[in-house]
Amino acid sequence: MAFGWVGKILDVDLTTRRIGTRDTMPYARDYLGGRALASRIAWDEIPAGIDAYDPENRVIIATGPLTGTLAPTSGRTIMAALSPRTYPLPWYTHSTLGGWFGAELKYAGFDAIVIHGRADSPLYLEVRDGEARLISATGLWGLGARETQLVLKERMGQQAQVLTIGPAGENLVRFATVQHSEENAAGHSGFGAVWGSKNLKAVVVRGTGGVSVANPDALLREVLQAGKFRISPRADILGTRRKKERRPICTQACTFNCFVSRYGRAADGRLVPSQCVGQAWISEGGLEITEYTGGGVEVPLCKNFGPSKDVQLHQLCNGLGLDLWFRLVMQPWLIRCKQLGINEIRGYLIEPEEVTWFESFTYQLARREGLGKIFAEDLVRAMDELEGELPEELIRLGRELEFDFGFPAHREGRLLDGEPLPFWVISAMMHAGTSRDPTIGTHESSLLHAEFFLADEGLARRQFRRLSEKVWGYPDAFEPTFENKAPVAIWSQSQHMLIDSLPLCDFAFPQLVRPMESRAEWEATEDILGDLDLGRRLFLAVTGVDLSWEDLMHVAERAFTLERAMLARAGRSRKMEEALAPHFELPCRSDGTLIDKAGFSRLLDEYYSASGWDLEFGWPQAHLLKSLGLEEVIPELDECRREARNGDLKA
Amino acid sequence: MSGSKRIEVTSNLCRDCQACALACSLHHEGECNLSLARLLVSKDMARYEFQITICQQCDSPDCIAACPTTAMWRDERGVVVLLEDECIQCGACADRCPYHAILHNEAQDRYLKCDLCTGREGGPLCVEVCPVEALTLSEATIEVET
Repeated sequence: MAFGWVGKILDVDLTTRRIGTRDTMPYARDYLGGRALASRIAWDEIPAGIDAYDPENRVIIATGPLTGTLAPTSGRTIMAALSPRTYPLPWYTHSTLGGWFGAELKYAGFDAIVIHGRADSPLYLEVRDGEARLISATGLWGLGARETQLVLKERMGQQAQVLTIGPAGENLVRFATVQHSEENAAGHSGFGAVWGSKNLKAVVVRGTGGVSVANPDALLREVLQAGKFRISPRADILGTRRKKERRPICTQACTFNCFVSRYGRAADGRLVPSQCVGQAWISEGGLEITEYTGGGVEVPLCKNFGPSKDVQLHQLCNGLGLDLWFRLVMQPWLIRCKQLGINEIRGYLIEPEEVTWFESFTYQLARREGLGKIFAEDLVRAMDELEGELPEELIRLGRELEFDFGFPAHREGRLLDGEPLPFWVISAMMHAGTSRDPTIGTHESSLLHAEFFLADEGLARRQFRRLSEKVWGYPDAFEPTFENKAPVAIWSQSQHMLIDSLPLCDFAFPQLVRPMESRAEWEATEDILGDLDLGRRLFLAVTGVDLSWEDLMHVAERAFTLERAMLARAGRSRKMEEALAPHFELPCRSDGTLIDKAGFSRLLDEYYSASGWDLEFGWPQAHLLKSLGLEEVIPELDECRREARNGDLKA
Repeated sequence: MSGSKRIEVTSNLCRDCQACALACSLHHEGECNLSLARLLVSKDMARYEFQITICQQCDSPDCIAACPTTAMWRDERGVVVLLEDECIQCGACADRCPYHAILHNEAQDRYLKCDLCTGREGGPLCVEVCPVEALTLSEATIEVET
């Protein structure tokens, strides 16, 4: 009997409408679950070189061994596929979402679902206690995400859980989401459009089973112990916590009072939970983080329209199934257009600071109408479309705002966030190494700790030197230099992979810094290292599988390497990653530091070398692949190298 | 002594983490299974409201009166308990409960109700794991002459 995993993966072919199953456990030993498991299935089953809308693209929906258990924050779900959003090419990537879907899927007897093919008319997948069937979704097509969920809950019961796309996904908007519950979404990677291309409207699941736990007493002990960590320590330390504020959670089994959550109120009086960017949407002045000036780039303040209007817009976006992030890049870009005297684009008036205009623009995006036809392709592709028609400054601005292979700038120390040296260097390496915004999964493993340095640099440096010695075996991991940062970036990426595979939430794990109750306690503390082992112990308690930290990191490295190999065979190489360099020639928002192209290239050398990748392309080398048990990948990457070199010769 | 302890519910504090139900089934059944928990957290998505259903340890329990066997009784601590070994799955208790707090697991055809974690040193586990005090143990002691 397996503990943690429920044992089956559901296989759905939308073209033939055939449904089958396979066993989970052959994947579990080397890939655990979630994102790591998805990487193996994707490598084996998504053909190289296809487009995101090819029927052979796979939508992989995966839980991990902890999903559905009491392990804190574990109720998460991972989605993976070739993404239509990655720029300039469709690359394999992932999104994770909180909520209640993954747990319900396991209670219905499945660890994961793999969907491929394309239906000839809209369908939804219904899963109920070990059984699955495809049902016509013609009547649901065109409905918003909230309405779709309410309809399907009416059919299946209130306890059923639903993933669904809105009109944006149906209309192949490149930043369309797969929505769940109020605000949970696989939001960033454009998977809503992949579902739309497959004529897949929704997946609804109801399960009455459970997840067996190897050591219930140990799990309870860990949870009760971790339960003491109920408030983000950093918020206290920095004095930003609103003590009396009651905060929503975004996933089953989360017992924490997360500082990135808050409630808004809908027009009908209903409470509306929001997290992170959603919180910025509905908070007074929450979007003002966009303002930046430097290196010839001007990003104006983004504008809130007031809590009640913003909640309405936030609800609209979640209903249409648009990634909330679009507002953080498109609104300031459009405001800058106005500042430069551009009042219309291709005959369409722009009024980005007018709420009625912005609301209409949001509808147009989801429907691909008017200006929406251009911007539904995402900002960076809109810049390609509009190049030559608009001042060069605007084209450059759009490209900087989505510098990260088509994803909005995030935690790179310039636009939106101000991580000082060395945090933005760590972030830059991670941006170079992955196919999507990597910083969304690395808040607690590295990037958010920048806030300690911004609060009291001297104190933080003393504490983090000691922490660095303990975790990485050398003192200067967080010193404000450009050297010795690759080990932190790689460690942070591995933690991200583990968190996405067990799964856990990256706002709570890994616990690199221990919980502290007050600024006074922080100031009196020399040793701030937290309980890094907690995730491993939760895994042990649930599964009974006694893996060491080294074993778990090995799993993470194996899956990350497979993801990297998929990038290699889909045309990503060092040249494209060097093209990120100009973004880091912009001065850091908080300390003005920057790096030139030669310096950025040296960072890549350090990062590639430490990762076991070649310096020519940045691809995994044979010795690394062998050490991870991925020998079968070697010939394919050798062939990629031959082709790339031939291509260079021809060029 | 009778009706001395019960779990008080403040549903509008609930955030749907399900920690109570997961801990409950883990403690009683050794697995995380919302359908085997002795309490139910349900959500009305249309209104974004949550409801927690759990036994209120009534002073004059209808469930005991309804039970045709000796499966339901009030123990020496005043806790209304359901002895599964003696239950004949007739459902009379669940039908009569004014709180709908006797839960039926269809897959296993079992009736389940809260026993305030009888024998657990720390008291009811759901109360201990609830992070928002939507569940609290009422300590108001009502001495009953016997």
